[in-house]
Amino acid sequence: MSHSHSHAPGQAHSHTHSHGPPQSSQGPQSPVMPTPDPALQALIEDDFRPVPLSLSDDRNTAYCLDHRLEKCDACDVDFVNLNRLSTLLANNPNLLCPPPSNIVTQKLSQMVTTTKDEGNSLFKSGLHTAAVNRYTGAANLAINRPPWENNQLMREELSTVISNRSAAFTEASDYISALADADAVIQIRKPWSKGHFRKAKALVGLHRLREAAEAVKLGLSFEPTNNELLQYLSDIEKAIKGETKQETAETKSEQ
Amino acid sequence: MASVLVPIVYLIIVFGGLFLFSYFYRKHTSTQSYEPYFPSHPERNAYVTLLQSEPRASDALLKSALVRRAMADVQRVIRIREDKPALQNLLQKGSIGDDLWNSLINAERELEAEIMEVVGEANSFVEGWGQVIFPTANEMLANERMRAVFENVPAARVELERKYEVKAKHTAVIPPPLLPKSSNGSTPSTGAENGDAEGAKKNKKRK
Repeated sequence: MSHSHSHAPGQAHSHTHSHGPPQSSQGPQSPVMPTPDPALQALIEDDFRPVPLSLSDDRNTAYCLDHRLEKCDACDVDFVNLNRLSTLLANNPNLLCPPPSNIVTQKLSQMVTTTKDEGNSLFKSGLHTAAVNRYTGAANLAINRPPWENNQLMREELSTVISNRSAAFTEASDYISALADADAVIQIRKPWSKGHFRKAKALVGLHRLREAAEAVKLGLSFEPTNNELLQYLSDIEKAIKGETKQETAETKSEQ
Repeated sequence: MASVLVPIVYLIIVFGGLFLFSYFYRKHTSTQSYEPYFPSHPERNAYVTLLQSEPRASDALLKSALVRRAMADVQRVIRIREDKPALQNLLQKGSIGDDLWNSLINAERELEAEIMEVVGEANSFVEGWGQVIFPTANEMLANERMRAVFENVPAARVELERKYEVKAKHTAVIPPPLLPKSSNGSTPSTGAENGDAEGAKKNKKRK
């Protein structure tokens, strides 16, 4: 059923795997590597503490020894990302190792763009909830890009899709979700002005004009000449002035 | 009496004493231990554990463990690079002792040896992989960060609801992120967090 094993601490060990010892790493293709200082290597080996884990039946995934969980707080292990990568490699046997980052899956970008465009057309025709669903689908596709590819692509795709989703939420008057999305966009791609713009819009929807002005100013600090942001900032400031005038008028009338 | 031997014996005693002292002093300082700068290396431990596991782990799993080890090393390199000038400043001002600085220097040296080891191990799996594995680790770190942000959005939504005391209104169902079609059906355990926050509120209209 399950292959489980444990290591007694202090068991004698060496780097035994059938590909040869780590020191002789000089091959015809790789440049000459200085061999690591044996004293330091001994230090590294001293530092080893065995991790309590067990393998799945196909030996492709690791679980914690006691509870058979990928992520187990009791045993303090988190194999989720390890297993995801391992499954990805196992399902693509033609991939000997994660390739260099310039090799990119073209089809994924196309699928993300198509789904995003479908969302855009739904948005324009006013079906905001359906647009949100479509954008979520596009985001899920973008997330599943193989992790070794150049991360700029995923950054742009994901931030664009989430920013569009934020716009759809704002139009549907769901400002909290729009704000959550805008925050995510800013975290993924800080210097992008659209992210800050969307955040400001969501905050205006929540009637937090001062915070919206802050968000726009932050966006302007990255792109000082962005006309959209400048225009929106003056709109917000006018609204703030209008509000304070109204407040002072109300307090005067109460007195 | 005043023979030639006396000054020679004197010199021998003086220099002999100096040599003895320096020998013992050097032996003393070289065996001095220091506090490790980083507490432990879980990814390295996982990798070595997998190497030694009894039913031998598949190559895919070993390579993944090696990549994660490289990722942890990259994070440490960045951390040391950031900490070093700061620590140097503090050291010059006298706010910290030598011990912390020595720990940092030793950690740096160990990290270099560790990186060379990782490159060696990578080359042992696939010839030439050693050159590529660290750039790959860089990309994967960025990827994981973005993925974490995206998967955190539902939790952020709940936070904001609490902060602004407004309920999120949308009724769209957000399914958990799925694995790509090329891999077959292992359910991601990260999907669980999505279900809870959503299911409570969004059961009204489902398209």
